[in-house]
Amino acid sequence: MSARDKYETVIGLEVHVQLNTASKAFCSDSTLFGAEANTQVSPISLGHPGTLPVVNEEQIAKAVKLGLALGCEINPHSSFDRKNYFYADLPKGYQITQDRSPICIGGALKIKIDEAFKSIRIHHIHMEEDAGKSIHDTDGAYSLIDLNRAGVPLLEIVSEPDLRSAEEVDAFMSGMRQLVRWLDVSDGNMEQGSMRCDVNVSIRLKGEEEFGTRCEIKNVNSMRYARRAIAYEVGRQVDIIEKGGSIEQQTLNFDPDTGTTTPLRDKEDAHDYRYFPEPDMPPIRLSDGYIQAVKDGMVRLPWELYEDFTEKLGLSDYDASLLTEEVEVAKYFLGLQHLSQQTKASANLIINKILPYCKDKQLALFDFPVASENLVEFLDIIRTGKVSNAMAYQRIFPEMTEQPDRSPLEIAKDLNLLQSSDTSFLEELIEGILADNPDKVKVYRNGKKGLLGFFMGELMKKSKGKADPKVANKLLREKLEA
Amino acid sequence: MTVDEKLISRLEKLAKLDLTTSEKEKLRKELDDILKMVDKLEELDTDGVDPLIYVLEENNVWRKDRVQGQIKREETFKNAPDSDGEHFKVPKVIDIKK
Repeated sequence: MSARDKYETVIGLEVHVQLNTASKAFCSDSTLFGAEANTQVSPISLGHPGTLPVVNEEQIAKAVKLGLALGCEINPHSSFDRKNYFYADLPKGYQITQDRSPICIGGALKIKIDEAFKSIRIHHIHMEEDAGKSIHDTDGAYSLIDLNRAGVPLLEIVSEPDLRSAEEVDAFMSGMRQLVRWLDVSDGNMEQGSMRCDVNVSIRLKGEEEFGTRCEIKNVNSMRYARRAIAYEVGRQVDIIEKGGSIEQQTLNFDPDTGTTTPLRDKEDAHDYRYFPEPDMPPIRLSDGYIQAVKDGMVRLPWELYEDFTEKLGLSDYDASLLTEEVEVAKYFLGLQHLSQQTKASANLIINKILPYCKDKQLALFDFPVASENLVEFLDIIRTGKVSNAMAYQRIFPEMTEQPDRSPLEIAKDLNLLQSSDTSFLEELIEGILADNPDKVKVYRNGKKGLLGFFMGELMKKSKGKADPKVANKLLREKLEA
Repeated sequence: MTVDEKLISRLEKLAKLDLTTSEKEKLRKELDDILKMVDKLEELDTDGVDPLIYVLEENNVWRKDRVQGQIKREETFKNAPDSDGEHFKVPKVIDIKK
């Protein structure tokens, strides 16, 4: 047993989610990602004296939406505070945030770990604004500042220290990403920085109730980094404690190049943010009516649909998970399932054909060219045995994507793929096959029933895949056992 | 709470100010007076009285989520001590952040 095994890792997260509003949190600059530097700014985001911030109503609605989805209590009286610090990409000298009264309190996100569910509690969610971007490496003596991102609305989701491993952190972040995308609150794009997290890590001996001293790793912007940063930090803390030392509460930076964490600031600079109420913005009062209206406008949640899909519709865990990853996929499936009245077949068609096609062509699912009537007909000709499943998937589907307006039945006729249940035609083929293989017929009749597969294969070959398997099977047995 | 030299130096640092000795002494006195006044107020019994944070009774001053009012780059850098025409230029900062 290594020293590490004696300890339990305790992790809490602060997840920053950039809201996908069109304009910023407190002024009307665009929030679009990737614009030229300093083209999405105004006197308010530049922090000029005498300017007044005004809250974006969408920011409130999106915060409430996420709070409701996570089962938080929506704070009827919330307000903003100023967090004071100096940094070149923070033009006002303070960040507008919520310190005393965050918009959402409590709640939890369920994550799935080794086939079991675990509930990770949320401490609170608060609204704040993002800072600008500093570029340090292009100009020797200077740092360059781009303020396009200054003032973009963020939600900070603060979890309780309920996570115990990098795998759980991964599951929590994936679940949160799925949820914010599902609710259309954020694009959840970690590469573009729309989702990032600070990781609070501590260790304690297994069985110990008291938490250890925690260290905060800042700005972890990918799951791969989070995994490495946690592994490194746990190792560092175990080493210190095993050598009889104690952990100092610190803010750390993870360096992806070296895979190590290093202190971000000196102790003597210990932060003193001197929070005080933001005097420029009146408080936010949310009535029951407002909260109800947001609730009424919400789509059903991924885990609710997952439960419906597995329990009411009888889909497998795998299918249900895939179909509830994105809200568009779930909606598309429900639409097709409703029209075709075929559950499993709709799921298969979407998972095995439509989604891979869209991914390949980089299409949004709702831009898939084939009309739903034709998809329904496609499923119908399979169900009624007019075309074999294999032929439909391999030959007809690709043709439908080429000619989205054509009926699949027409395509099947053109390609000569309609299955034959015409008994006289099949009987003739069977007679021929039996005559060609007298030895195998004898073996079959002596009890080796497994040979039926061989005869079916021959029949399919001879009929060019058009024999209706059910009818063909029955006829074959009759002839063989005659 | 007394306002002493040490506190003034700390505030000076937090506010990124550079004060002369006489300025420090002046500020120390003024801040001390302010705190004395607050001490006086604390003699009042405020049990059961909600703190007054906002003087105006207005709530929920919100705006629509629309893009407008952005300014041109040349205006953006008008008051900036230094720029390269695309970015604000500031003396190199790399370490201390939030």
